[in-house]
Amino acid sequence: MSETTTSTARTLRTGPGRLLVAVYGVFALAATARGGYQLATRFDEAPLAYALSLLAGVVYLVAAVGLARAGRTSRVVALVSCGVEVVGVLVVGAASVLLPEVFPDDTVWSNFGGGYLFIPLVLPVVGLWWILRVHRMDTD
Amino acid sequence: MVDWLTVTIQVASLAMAGWCLVSTFRDQPMVVPHLVGMGLLWFLVLGQVGAAVVTVVGGDRPAETAMFVSYLATVALLPPACAVWGFMERSKWGPAVIAFACLILPVLFVRLEQLWNPVV
Repeated sequence: MSETTTSTARTLRTGPGRLLVAVYGVFALAATARGGYQLATRFDEAPLAYALSLLAGVVYLVAAVGLARAGRTSRVVALVSCGVEVVGVLVVGAASVLLPEVFPDDTVWSNFGGGYLFIPLVLPVVGLWWILRVHRMDTD
Repeated sequence: MVDWLTVTIQVASLAMAGWCLVSTFRDQPMVVPHLVGMGLLWFLVLGQVGAAVVTVVGGDRPAETAMFVSYLATVALLPPACAVWGFMERSKWGPAVIAFACLILPVLFVRLEQLWNPVV
């Protein structure tokens, strides 16, 4: 990948980061809208699942903004939010398989993101890889 | 919802995605023809959104109107937002953004049609 050697590629939003921000943006919108709508209309049915969907959406939004903005601080923000996503999708994924009675309705993270083509599982890993890669190019 | 327009949008969107994927793998940035393509696609989408809004305002609305309207807003904004975001990137990742958007768009229209006409 030749473009990563140029200095303009040394921010998170250029190159593959450009696509990453777009995917994160769509997921932020999808999860926030889903969680917010379900909390507003059917709070009693599965408050934990809907709150988790909303939380996931907010974390995706933070990650998207962190990736889209240049600078050290936003890089840390993006790193932390991607870390939260990895933990979230693994914990909620495992819980939804082992303790299905806790989750009467699905969240974005249920079954390790299986309802969304496992993108929620892959996305934060790609995000972390990209952030660390840019960080390494900077420190070289 | 105009059925034939939905199908047209989905086919055009997938064609656009294919074109942009070819550009990505050929290591080409976004060029003006890509933008024109997205403009045409957006024009079709706005036509469908306009038709749906007129029907909803006219009183014929799906059961989950709030959900339906939020999906309508998303499909109306997705093409221009991604076109601008992709065009700002002067590398092969520009068309990659458009390809992603054009793969999401048909899925959103499937959801719209499901909300409009739920199969019970």
